[in-house]
Amino acid sequence: MVAVSSITSSPSDLTYADLPWLIEHREDRCAVCGKCTAVCPVQAIQLTYRRQRIVGLGMLGKGKNDPSVNYRTLYGIKQKTDVAHRCIGCGMCSMVCPNEAIRPIPNPNDARLRFHMNQGGDAWKRGGRRNDRDSLLDKIIFTRISMLTDPALDAGRHEFFMNTILGRILPPEEFIQKKAKGEWIPPTREIFPFIIGSMSFGALSPNMWLGLLQGVAYLNEVLKIPVVMATGEGGCPPWVLKSPFLKYIILQIASGYFGWDEIVRAIPEMQCDPAAIEIKYGQGAKPGDGGLLMWFKVSKLIARLRGVPEGVDLPSPPVHQTLYSIEESVMKMIQTMSMAWGFRVPVYPKISGSTSAKAVLNNLVRNPYAAGMLIDGMDGGTGAAYNVSMDSMGHPIASNIRECYLDLVAQGRENEIPLFAAGGIGKNGNIAQNGMALVMLGASGVHMGKYIMQAAAGCLGSERNRCNVCNIGLCPKGITSQNPKLYRRLDPDQVAQRVVEVFTSIRTEMKKIMAPLGRSQSLPIGMSDAIGIGDAAAAERLKIRYIC
Amino acid sequence: MSETNDTIVINGLKENGQRISSQEFEQMVQAAAERSHHLLLHTYGQHNIGGRLFKKDARYRIVVKGPVGQRLGCMARPGVTIVSEGSASNDVGYLNIGADIIVKGDAGDGVCNAMAQGRVMIGGSIGARGLTMSKWNPEYARPELWVLGSVGDIFAEFNCGGIGVVCGINPKTPENVMGYRPCVGMVGGWIFYRGKTDGSFSKGDVKDTVPNDEQWQWLLSRLPEFLEAIGQPEHLASLSKRGEWRMLIALTPQEKTLLNLGSMSMQDFRTKVWEAAFKGDPLRDLAPGLDRSPIGLIVTGELRRRVPYWANRANAAPCTFYCPTHIPTVDRLRLIRDGKIDESYELTLRYTPFPASVCGAICPNLCMEQCSRQDVDTSIDIAMLGRAVLDAKLPPVKPNTGKKVAIIGGGPAGMSAAWQLAQEGIEAHIYEREEKLGGKIEQVIPWERLSIAIWQKEIDRFLQMPNIVLHLGHTVTKEDLERFLKEYEYVIVAAGAHEPRRIPFPGSERVITALDFLKSVKSGKPMKIGKRVVIIGAGNVGCDVACEAYRNGAEQVILVDIQKPLAFGKEREAAEKLGAVFRWPVNTKEVTEEGLVLADGEVIPADTVMISIGDVPALPFLPDSIERFRGWIKTDEVGRTSDSKIFAVGDVERPGLIAHALGAGKRTAECIVALLKGQEYQPFKQRVIDKKALTTAHYCPTSSKGINVADEADRCLSCGSCRDCHLCETICPAKAISRKTLSDGGYEYVSDDEKCIACGFCADTCPCGIWVMKTA
Repeated sequence: MVAVSSITSSPSDLTYADLPWLIEHREDRCAVCGKCTAVCPVQAIQLTYRRQRIVGLGMLGKGKNDPSVNYRTLYGIKQKTDVAHRCIGCGMCSMVCPNEAIRPIPNPNDARLRFHMNQGGDAWKRGGRRNDRDSLLDKIIFTRISMLTDPALDAGRHEFFMNTILGRILPPEEFIQKKAKGEWIPPTREIFPFIIGSMSFGALSPNMWLGLLQGVAYLNEVLKIPVVMATGEGGCPPWVLKSPFLKYIILQIASGYFGWDEIVRAIPEMQCDPAAIEIKYGQGAKPGDGGLLMWFKVSKLIARLRGVPEGVDLPSPPVHQTLYSIEESVMKMIQTMSMAWGFRVPVYPKISGSTSAKAVLNNLVRNPYAAGMLIDGMDGGTGAAYNVSMDSMGHPIASNIRECYLDLVAQGRENEIPLFAAGGIGKNGNIAQNGMALVMLGASGVHMGKYIMQAAAGCLGSERNRCNVCNIGLCPKGITSQNPKLYRRLDPDQVAQRVVEVFTSIRTEMKKIMAPLGRSQSLPIGMSDAIGIGDAAAAERLKIRYIC
Repeated sequence: MSETNDTIVINGLKENGQRISSQEFEQMVQAAAERSHHLLLHTYGQHNIGGRLFKKDARYRIVVKGPVGQRLGCMARPGVTIVSEGSASNDVGYLNIGADIIVKGDAGDGVCNAMAQGRVMIGGSIGARGLTMSKWNPEYARPELWVLGSVGDIFAEFNCGGIGVVCGINPKTPENVMGYRPCVGMVGGWIFYRGKTDGSFSKGDVKDTVPNDEQWQWLLSRLPEFLEAIGQPEHLASLSKRGEWRMLIALTPQEKTLLNLGSMSMQDFRTKVWEAAFKGDPLRDLAPGLDRSPIGLIVTGELRRRVPYWANRANAAPCTFYCPTHIPTVDRLRLIRDGKIDESYELTLRYTPFPASVCGAICPNLCMEQCSRQDVDTSIDIAMLGRAVLDAKLPPVKPNTGKKVAIIGGGPAGMSAAWQLAQEGIEAHIYEREEKLGGKIEQVIPWERLSIAIWQKEIDRFLQMPNIVLHLGHTVTKEDLERFLKEYEYVIVAAGAHEPRRIPFPGSERVITALDFLKSVKSGKPMKIGKRVVIIGAGNVGCDVACEAYRNGAEQVILVDIQKPLAFGKEREAAEKLGAVFRWPVNTKEVTEEGLVLADGEVIPADTVMISIGDVPALPFLPDSIERFRGWIKTDEVGRTSDSKIFAVGDVERPGLIAHALGAGKRTAECIVALLKGQEYQPFKQRVIDKKALTTAHYCPTSSKGINVADEADRCLSCGSCRDCHLCETICPAKAISRKTLSDGGYEYVSDDEKCIACGFCADTCPCGIWVMKTA
């Protein structure tokens, strides 16, 4: 008789030691309260019973009634080892455990799981970011400290002008001429240089998206910090479009054109103009790849917002369907979007970090309607992408923004068309330092996505592939889920409060960076003599000082 | 030099009109201070006047006339009074630690910079950065700066406890007596002011307010002394109007933190600004009534993402599932646990007429092969359970309904069908060619594998079954079948496979078929065979042939096969025990006198060669219109042939085990019963339970297999069927699960949605795999 229960070893059978995250559970502390298994987003853990054979190995006393073999059954929490139920390391179990009895720990050994993340023949898809904790931006140091040579400024005492300009800035003579003739002058916005980057209402839950906007509104209206946020593709709730808060919003149009019918319909009823229009041509986290809002995230609410049926997959193709060249793209999209608001709203494209960024820039320079360019570097985040796109496609932001800026400098137009940088800014928490480093490399401002999710909403994701399940609608914090059972975990007031705290502290750190440089009355865009890096190759590439 | 009470006068210019350096002048002042405490200094811009008068408790009065240098009263001590009759330069009172410094005119920038104690009284106005970095050491009196006029920009920066009084009388800057952006970084102290300002004070550091009673009293009581000191007492009346005075007071660190984040709470902002702008919820048109209110991480009721479901009896135990007859062994064993032995046996007999002969003897027991108990130790001995039913009485049957079914063939398939029909009161007419019932069980299977006593007992019990009519020795013809179709409601063909398969290789006429050989042995007239026997076809029947060959004179038996032998279980063990050898792969070329000649020329010597590669049905009575496939009758999932009145079961359908024949007979009989009742046939549709759903760790391995049914009943894991063990109720951390007795005497376990947190412990604990967590 063949025992059916014999232990098998199929190609994708894994042991817990093969998983990237190990559950460390302490039976001696466990309250057996069920909270960890109740909260686990992927059902990676379960109560288990372990039968143990207790063998009495004494030499003497063996006889008829010798109970030398006994059994006892222990219970505890066990992690599952199948691919679908692998621990994602989010740590929600630790968050609910009353006794600090459970936590996920990264597996220091080979996590063989990677070889099996293609069950069913589909390549590994996930949410999150590139799994690389290294950050070049973290290594940039502000070296030019004003000492007795020139009056250093005091971050706590002096007044600072820290805003940036979004929009086309005409050379003075051209401005004066046009002004005199009453000609059209490109619109500009004075905004805070740290911008909440494009995350769609759909990729984000309603509580997250509205929480962010509420925080942005507070920053503007109460603290007078002109922070703006970008919507991402997927529209904007009609009441928000018709609200006075629209002026803090950069509306995004992308290849899926989701939500634009509602936006166009709402134009006559808008109380104010949006901050800007962002045309998405690419995303740093998945360059050259499209977006896909999975059907299970297309709730009734999202469907109505995007103007589509409920429960269908919503693909945004990698490219705009009817654009064949940069020139045509500029004509069709930038001009159309500019016209929609009477040429009063800056319109700029967002592209993935790429070696072709300079080519795009040079076309924009020649276009009077282009209000700037946003380059999204490869360390950016996304709600869903193939792992290969996230880990290995794209271009790091630092050298990409730098070469574009130096290209403008060579043309003498660096003050005319602002460059914005995104992608991995603040990936290790150093948001102001990263942002200011990019500013000094030539960016007029930076967009941040993951950082604000981590700081304002407690996103658990990391560059160590922690959590990173935004794509499957199971976000344990309720940030990227459309399931009210999950997103109601997120209190929009608390998100808004954290947004406020993030920006007030960025403002403080910016001053702490600017004051010792002796800079208070303008953002130090392109002030690359103030920075250095202890990496000779990077210093050479970025054309900044090598320090050691 | 002796001390004097006279005023000593020191000139800052030498007689030749040359200015004395600050250093030299200082030495002159020090020398004079040794002799007198009253000094009149005609300075000519010398710096740091009035410091270093360090004699303890000494009181000095120093009057300064002429151009005063920088840092008047620098580091001056308590007890020292310095009076400048005119204006003074920058940094008056720098690092002062207690002196009264009176400047009757104006003073420059930096007045009181870093002053810790003492009073500086200015009869005019001062420049920028007055009272900056002033420190109050609580061991001493607070430092004070009194200004009759106005102060310049950046006043009181980083002031830490100093008191400033700005009177606004004849101010240098009447439009803004406090200058631009006073009080940056001020962390303590009071600033009294009177007059116009530009409101540019640092709002993150101080608040603009009016003096309270205590503060007003403090000011009012000290004003006369100040005015007296600067020689302008006439302003007392105009400065005594409380309503004209305001104050800047340092915020507490707590107040500053709040202010840094805005002057409005987020809740206030939401209601007063945010929702007010939307005139309600911003999503109200897209999702009316959407509840987005915050919830916790651990939830109950509707907010759970999963809910437990008590799926009792929703899935089949492996024993039931894999048994072709689907005998519910978990139910048999539950009845035994409940002390209902007779009911348990009756239940078994409702499924099979041959529990002892088939389950207990000749069946390879697919049920046991898949038994979940093997996760703990060994499978439940279901064969033994079958044998235990040997002496059980017939189950009660329903009265004869008058309906009749003809069954062609009295082998296991036909008998099983008849057994089921009879229980339902349908007359089952069995037409059997031989004189005995039992088909291959009776004719072929060696008595070593099925004891004649057991078989006879079960046949006897079968014969007691009402509603079964036997027609033995009746070879059915085509004409018979036509008649059956008229006289019976349905016809079941269960004639078995009695035509041995052969292979037409040279010499095949020398070969004895397994069927003929076994039938001859079983009938008591065994065929003669030699000492060396080769059997082509090493399946289980081949093993039976081998055993019988040994018993009938063979000394060496070799079983050959073209592929890996399929023989398994008891049959193979028995053959191997007797010495049978298996050879494969073997390609037969021919059979000669020498034996078996292989394709490669090798000869396996044999006196007798037998072939055991299966049997096919012989169906001369069946009209050609009934569809077949390679000799077997084509049937649907209930055994129906292409003629809807004719069913086929057992080996005529496809070759299989005896158990398959029993299962097919039961299945078709049940279908016919349903058809005759006008009901819809309910086939066995349960899925086998997922072994992962069971929790076997609750059981301990037993040292040996149970030796009686009671032991087996205890060992049974009751897969998919609640054992009523209360473990779910016990483990549930939310106390949500309870056991409820039902009106029919049964029970169920229920989970209270309002208590359950969906931890899944019930599902993780249930030994039987009953609780499942469903996505909600």
